[in-house]
Amino acid sequence: MANAHDTGHQGGHDREGNYGHISVRTYWVVFGALMALMVLTVAAWYTQKHFVHLPEIVAVGIAVSIAIAKTTLIIYFFMHVKVSSKLTQIFAVSAFVWLMILFVIVMGDYMARGWPPAKGPLSQVPVPISAAL
Amino acid sequence: MATTPHEHGHNPALLHHFDTPGQQKEAATLGMWAFLVTEIMLFGGIFMAYMVYRWAYPAIWAAAAPHLNTPLATVNTVVLLVSSLTVALSVHAAEAGNKRQLVLLLLVTILLGVTFLGIKFTEYGEKFAHCAGYASPVAWATGGERLAEPECLVPGANFLFPVEALAAEGGVTAAVATAAARPGMKTPHQLFFFLYFCATGLHAIHMIVGITVMSVIAWMASRNRFSPAYFTPVEIGGLYWHLIDIIWVFLFPLFYLV
Repeated sequence: MANAHDTGHQGGHDREGNYGHISVRTYWVVFGALMALMVLTVAAWYTQKHFVHLPEIVAVGIAVSIAIAKTTLIIYFFMHVKVSSKLTQIFAVSAFVWLMILFVIVMGDYMARGWPPAKGPLSQVPVPISAAL
Repeated sequence: MATTPHEHGHNPALLHHFDTPGQQKEAATLGMWAFLVTEIMLFGGIFMAYMVYRWAYPAIWAAAAPHLNTPLATVNTVVLLVSSLTVALSVHAAEAGNKRQLVLLLLVTILLGVTFLGIKFTEYGEKFAHCAGYASPVAWATGGERLAEPECLVPGANFLFPVEALAAEGGVTAAVATAAARPGMKTPHQLFFFLYFCATGLHAIHMIVGITVMSVIAWMASRNRFSPAYFTPVEIGGLYWHLIDIIWVFLFPLFYLV
């Protein structure tokens, strides 16, 4: 039975469950990068709040980009996705695919109904019932 | 499969329905990732709501966010990032069979987790103390200094955003007054704090679970339950801890750095 199993899953089993490829040095370098990105995001926020005024979409874009970079580092190195099986990697990526489906469909619906928010369903100044009649 | 348990000498950590320790670990890791995907979707719902409402009320977000304690949250971010490092190093120590280092790193991780919750508790305490009319949690407990200007940022019947206090005296923009007068919602400012308490509260619950998990793993490690051949609980417990860190990586800029 074991033989049939092995031949049936060639290519995956030699590294199955083997996570020994990330060194302590790499962990420290990744940690350094995470701290640098943390300082960067706070500095970017402080700068745009007190010195340069950026459009909100740009400021949020910078903050979220840095958060995505940090997340990628944590998932790839700390969570060992780098040295995991293909199936585990697909599972990890799938989470973000589902998230994108959620965000894109919901925001797509809102935009189709009249967005930017000034015209959107959430921000219309309510008309008193007496005036509407 | 017909063999009776333990008549053959094998790794005691290897369960009978797996062929190899590697296969068993692979299954555990994959199962944990499947769970983490559902966790990401759980928080994804909150982020979705955040996106919709921030897009709808950018001015409200700009007015409400400065009422959160950014310096404390920055300290908390550092605390969590360091804890992620200690977890990563503890998995490495488990793999190397270094028990002393493993237990030590797990204990440091637990300590950092408790520190995070302590800081979070201080932040929440401040908001609740303000609702009770005191300047700080300490003043609240000792009956000390009262809050000068009434303010209550905890969502609920008593919610009172300071702008409304200004509005009551006159001298606030028409847009804010209109927003505050919207039916069915005392003020959209409450939305921000509702999302804040939901998101950080759910995150704090995950921290409590994470600390519990780490405590069990530290106890197991101290009882020599792990070896270089078997340390799966350290590995997948670590995955959970890193996920908590990732959630905070997004909560921090979205709530404190608006």
